[in-house]
Amino acid sequence: MKNLSPVYVEGVTVLSQERLTEDVYRLTVATTTGGNPGQFYMVRAWEREPLLARPLSVHSVDENTVSFLYQVRGRGTELLARLRQGGTVALTGPLGHGFRTEELRGRIAIVTGGIGIAPMFCLARTLPPGDVTVIAGFKSHPYAVAQFTDLGMDVRITTEDGCDGTRGLCTEDLDPHLYETVMTCGPMPMMARVAHLCAEAGVPCQASLEAHMACGVGACLVCSCTTIEGNKRVCADGPVFDAAEVIWHA
Amino acid sequence: MLETTLCGIMLKNPVIAASGTFGFGAEYSQFFDVGRLGGICSKGLTLHPREGNPGLRVWETPAGMMNSVGLQNPGIPVFLERELPRMRTLGTAIIANVGGDDLEDYVEAVQLLSSAEGVDIIELNISCPNVRKGGMAFGIKCDAAASVVAAVRPVCAKPLMVKLSPNAEDITAMAVACERAGADAVSLVNSFKALAIDIHTRKPIFDNVTAGLSGPCIKPIALRMVWEVARAIHIPVVGIGGIATWQDALEFIMAGATAVQVGSATFVKPTVMLEIVSGLERYCADEHLSSLTTVCNTFRRKI
Repeated sequence: MKNLSPVYVEGVTVLSQERLTEDVYRLTVATTTGGNPGQFYMVRAWEREPLLARPLSVHSVDENTVSFLYQVRGRGTELLARLRQGGTVALTGPLGHGFRTEELRGRIAIVTGGIGIAPMFCLARTLPPGDVTVIAGFKSHPYAVAQFTDLGMDVRITTEDGCDGTRGLCTEDLDPHLYETVMTCGPMPMMARVAHLCAEAGVPCQASLEAHMACGVGACLVCSCTTIEGNKRVCADGPVFDAAEVIWHA
Repeated sequence: MLETTLCGIMLKNPVIAASGTFGFGAEYSQFFDVGRLGGICSKGLTLHPREGNPGLRVWETPAGMMNSVGLQNPGIPVFLERELPRMRTLGTAIIANVGGDDLEDYVEAVQLLSSAEGVDIIELNISCPNVRKGGMAFGIKCDAAASVVAAVRPVCAKPLMVKLSPNAEDITAMAVACERAGADAVSLVNSFKALAIDIHTRKPIFDNVTAGLSGPCIKPIALRMVWEVARAIHIPVVGIGGIATWQDALEFIMAGATAVQVGSATFVKPTVMLEIVSGLERYCADEHLSSLTTVCNTFRRKI
């Protein structure tokens, strides 16, 4: 994995914007700035309002493009969703410490909740497909899962309303004993559950945290999370942490 | 054109990174040569390490943001050992921002920083709205502010700049009190004490209930305060509050600021301070000014 230095770039061209569900979109932009699995960009598609850029994880990356998978949650993501091919964004990134994949061996579980699936495709593309099981949970209609199947991975879907896959939560489908490593991203309570199951089973777990951010680069300390070593910065020390290090119910 | 002297310290230009928005300079060094700035104010330091506030720490508002970091910092001894040596390599003036819980805290903290080689100016923070004790407690009433300035003055061998709170009862009287108590400069304003409510839970957004408001939305009020203060005191004023463009910076300078600090605008665009510097350079060239200092305090009433 290359250690990439982050840059600030304006006028980055939008190559495509795909609407995957009612409120989930995939935005692809033309940039050579790259990114490692689990890293993110601060993305901005407006002049003044809202004040801050939005942190979006790298969903997919190649030499000339970066894609983001995101859910419309508020004003910022609403404006992102209005972008069309040929539009432009400003990017700061790639930022943060992503998934540690150097020492991975054996079977790997990728466990996601909702839009937490966003950083996982980038990760999955670096892993041996035969070793990976993806357990992807959604409230209702799933999205962005076919690409994992296309890689030849074992994909299991859970939905809370039972409209697809197994009815229930993705955490109910996870038996950490079956894996050497678990990688997770999703809502905090869901990741807390995954971390707990992994800790009980003695299986290493890496969790990608989400937080409201301002600077995104480690300077302002507004995105801190509680760990056994004190407060850490989600943006710069993470966003991927050893799940055993995070104090989940702080 | 932009060289500025602040309390006897020569700055390359009057554009300084505001405390709490720039860490200790390392993070933004990834994006630009921070040595091109006039100075960097360190993250607010206290004698002992602080973990800061729990819960959500940031919330956006129209044209601004609220923060509730609560002076999270590694403590002055760690700053001196680990951060200051790195900061000194950045090639810009170093302003150590310092807060405390009580008078003794402030005195001991200032003493430590005062003897540190490489700290150019000490910025006394009596204006953090996000800590219960100390912080802004000294920044509301003039006599409390004067007492802390007077207490640290004898142990402070460096220029002493006092960072004022817009939440002060009377910011002009506050600045006068700080000047009388021995301050070499004042910087203003810190963030405004503000509130946001989650209408679904009927609870405050922040665990600490209130938080500090900053960003473009506070600029006109900050500018008015800088203007009022600059007219009332004889020591330099450093303007802070929502500055995001060179024109904003120029307004503060015309209102009487010797230099300016830029905070949240850096979050919006990491390189914004360089644009402010080059904008001010262009302005000087276009206006045929030999020095930007010639426009300082040139704002006059219409009639």
